[in-house]
Amino acid sequence: MNGLVVALAVPAVAALLLVVARSLVTDLVAARVGTATSLVVAVLLLVTWIGHDGDGYAAEIDLVWVRALGIHLHLGMDGISFPLLLMTALISALVCWALVDHPPAGDNATPGLVGLVMVVLTAAVGVFAALDLLLFFVFFELALIPMWFVIARWGDPHDPVGRRTAATRFLLYTVVGSAFMLVGFVTVWALTGTLQIPELAERGDVLDGGWALFAACTIALGLAVKTPIWPLHLWLPDAHAKAPTVGSVLLAAVFLKLGTYGLLRVLVSVLPGPARDLAPWLGALGVVGIVVAALACLRQTDLKRLIAYSSVGHMGFVVLGIATLTEIGVAAAVFASVAHGLVTGLLFFNAGSLKRRFGTAEIAVLGRGLYARMPALAVVLGFACFASLGLPGLAGFWGEMMALRGAYEASAGAGDAGLGPALAAVLLVGALLGVLLTSAYFLRIVRRTLQGVPTPHEHDLDLDGSERGIAAVLVVAVLLLGLAPGIVMGVVEPSIPAILGGAR
Amino acid sequence: MTGSQLIDWSSAGVPLLVAAGAIVALVVDAFWPGGRWRRAGTIAVASLAAAGSWLASTGSTGPIVAGFSWVILLSALAVVVLAQVLEDDATMPAGESVFLMLCATAGALTLASASDFVTLVVALELLSLPSIALVAMQRDRREAVSSAWTFFLASATATAVTLMGLSLLYGLTGTLTYEGVLVGLQAERAPLRVVTAVVVLVLIGLVFKVGAVPFHLWIPDAYRGATVPVAAFLSVVSKGGALAGLLVVLAYPFVALQPRWDVFIAVVAALSMTVGNLGALAQRDIVGMLAWSSVAQGGFVLAPLVAVAVGSDLVLTAPLRYLAVYAVANLTVFAVAAVGVRRLGGTSYAHYTGVARRDPLLGVALLMGLLALAGFPPAVIGLVAKYVVLQPVIVSGYGWLAAVMAVNVALGLVYYLRLAVVAFAPASRVLRSEVAASGATVREGRGTAIAYAVVVVGVVALVATSVAPTLLLGPLP
Repeated sequence: MNGLVVALAVPAVAALLLVVARSLVTDLVAARVGTATSLVVAVLLLVTWIGHDGDGYAAEIDLVWVRALGIHLHLGMDGISFPLLLMTALISALVCWALVDHPPAGDNATPGLVGLVMVVLTAAVGVFAALDLLLFFVFFELALIPMWFVIARWGDPHDPVGRRTAATRFLLYTVVGSAFMLVGFVTVWALTGTLQIPELAERGDVLDGGWALFAACTIALGLAVKTPIWPLHLWLPDAHAKAPTVGSVLLAAVFLKLGTYGLLRVLVSVLPGPARDLAPWLGALGVVGIVVAALACLRQTDLKRLIAYSSVGHMGFVVLGIATLTEIGVAAAVFASVAHGLVTGLLFFNAGSLKRRFGTAEIAVLGRGLYARMPALAVVLGFACFASLGLPGLAGFWGEMMALRGAYEASAGAGDAGLGPALAAVLLVGALLGVLLTSAYFLRIVRRTLQGVPTPHEHDLDLDGSERGIAAVLVVAVLLLGLAPGIVMGVVEPSIPAILGGAR
Repeated sequence: MTGSQLIDWSSAGVPLLVAAGAIVALVVDAFWPGGRWRRAGTIAVASLAAAGSWLASTGSTGPIVAGFSWVILLSALAVVVLAQVLEDDATMPAGESVFLMLCATAGALTLASASDFVTLVVALELLSLPSIALVAMQRDRREAVSSAWTFFLASATATAVTLMGLSLLYGLTGTLTYEGVLVGLQAERAPLRVVTAVVVLVLIGLVFKVGAVPFHLWIPDAYRGATVPVAAFLSVVSKGGALAGLLVVLAYPFVALQPRWDVFIAVVAALSMTVGNLGALAQRDIVGMLAWSSVAQGGFVLAPLVAVAVGSDLVLTAPLRYLAVYAVANLTVFAVAAVGVRRLGGTSYAHYTGVARRDPLLGVALLMGLLALAGFPPAVIGLVAKYVVLQPVIVSGYGWLAAVMAVNVALGLVYYLRLAVVAFAPASRVLRSEVAASGATVREGRGTAIAYAVVVVGVVALVATSVAPTLLLGPLP
């Protein structure tokens, strides 16, 4: 039995069962089923990865799905996708665990919500595992409508109109982008006659010319909306801020990664020639995103919006890493994606805990001196902030450091980099400025909320039950990645040449 | 012209059997009144089944025409079954209604298999006039009569324009058979302007029946005036026939003139999908929404025709495949609407609030149908259909049209999803809407149960083809 197929089928079946039998299942059972299913997926992925013999794709399976159109059910995982797959399953388990103690409002609403989370998990696993362009697209789109419901139905209870608007804006932006991506995939098919990603990546003759560039532009557009790359990020702050904790965490940890992973898998590896043409633009927009997001963060008054904007900045580093088209840049992109999933997941879990207590995530309302009022929560929040600003020894550091290193190599004139030396130098300076500003706004948060004279509030209540467990798991993961980055790098590195193969 | 005296029974048999069924339905109803819908429906199903078996045994003039004939026949079958919900509607007499539906179906089938322009015009009228009569049938409703008038005037004008084009064409080539026109147009060094005029004038009549912009205004009007099954008929059978005719005309007699008309088709397709989607955005009634959406979908069906001159199989099959998916999805949603009229008391969105909670199957059918129309997973078949129509557009180099299509896919999702969201509204909203929709008459009956069966068949088909698209794409050429 193919482990990847089972990992894809298990959450899908769970989703179906939960939705069909929603009236029979209690909140508690539903949340536990979700957690268990996600853990099963994680274990399956791990076992499958460990069991594979080392070359090519692990658990590769290639069946003809639609013969008339040459669409295959082609799945497999390599060092690029495996860390993201594992992170996705872990985050999904934690999200469901959070629902154990804090079920969503409404009578017996958890089965529906967990069902949607399971659909999102299926879709994410499918995207990371798909090796057929159309299959990739199907899973890419599958996650959108469940996410709309998560945001619009279970989002911010104080703002029913706003959460619906945010959900719709999220959907519209992403759908316009992905529709263009479909056009790009059709163009790739028209140029090559195949949809199989490995076959496309191994092609000897690099696709070039006007139509290849057209395909690359449309694909990049779709992925840029998802990632998001400035200036296509406008859907993100509201969607993250209005979503329930479940939605914010999934959006940040999983959804954005669909975009960055896509940039590697279906842009750089499939269209290496045009990707090289686009790299300077992507790199420049990524750095603009880093700086603009940091400046925006300095002005945010809402903690969830601030974390959302900080995601734009982190994704800027990922995009910069990809745009260098160096090995270290690609490694940075994968590492930073995983680290961002864990760190920002932790931030959003904490922000969600605060929002549930105070009814809002406005920094002014949260008050000062959280260290004294809710020690555990404050320490975890502080830890996450430091991890996010890239403190050495924590997970956030390595991704940013390697992206900067990639830009430095390009500026020092590495022959096959995607950026010219002059541009790379400018981008390097811009990104360093972004690092400084990022530190500034996170320190502002630490000073404004965690430190200072305590201003007690009637809803002060420290982390409880599952909140403690989730925080512990994520803190350990962030430390592990920070102290031993080699466990991820060892997995990623062997697969990089296949991604960059044609771009050289 | 000895060739015209021979009748190609293999392709003429199919519409003739349907037409025979129409006459039987009318005569039986006239001499033995009182049989009502069940008897008329049985006759219709029998004649469509006979036509189907004829088609299966003899084939048609080609696999593409045969494919279109199958789509038309099966859609007509679904509509006739769906029409059983009209059983206690006094304004829709069973015999006449079935007679008109079968006549129009025969027209649509002839349109697909015609091989000269005179047959084409006759078929166009055979399709149009019964359709108009079907809309006008509810003569006590002012709305219906005014809709029928609009429909009639627009239709007559379009036919007149087409006839004008044909007379010019005859002047140019001296013949009206497809083969003769093809040869004549290739040989003749006709003046450019005349040829352009011929192409545009002839295509107008067909584009009108497809309901593409700028000849779309009759569609929302006609759908609003008609009963739900009749609207379903217009949106699938009528559109399918016209599309088949258009495809054959472009791919066969007019193929030599391709640079003259591909821009025309591209502009019409782009405008149709954009205008149709914008119109649908404002709708808060399921039939009104489907009317505008059918204009938009017409644009998607037309788009691959820009590549007809590329000549690969892909280009000819794309509109057929898209139409087949559209037919299944659209008929499913129309079946939900027909059941909704009876069980929920109306077709406005308010009537559908939280319907998935009261009747999960109806909700799932609505969701799958709408998402298939939008081209979104989990209704993968709709996405595959969008992919299929994008292929020829890209192959022929129409990048801008592909971009317009991409934007319209997103635009379409907005209003399809809006109705799906209404149907899946949480329990708290359902109570409010039930107050709003109270006073509507809810009628159950055997007819409703039969229409419900169509819903079940539709949702099963959509789910099955989404899991295995080959089930639908395999049998088509």
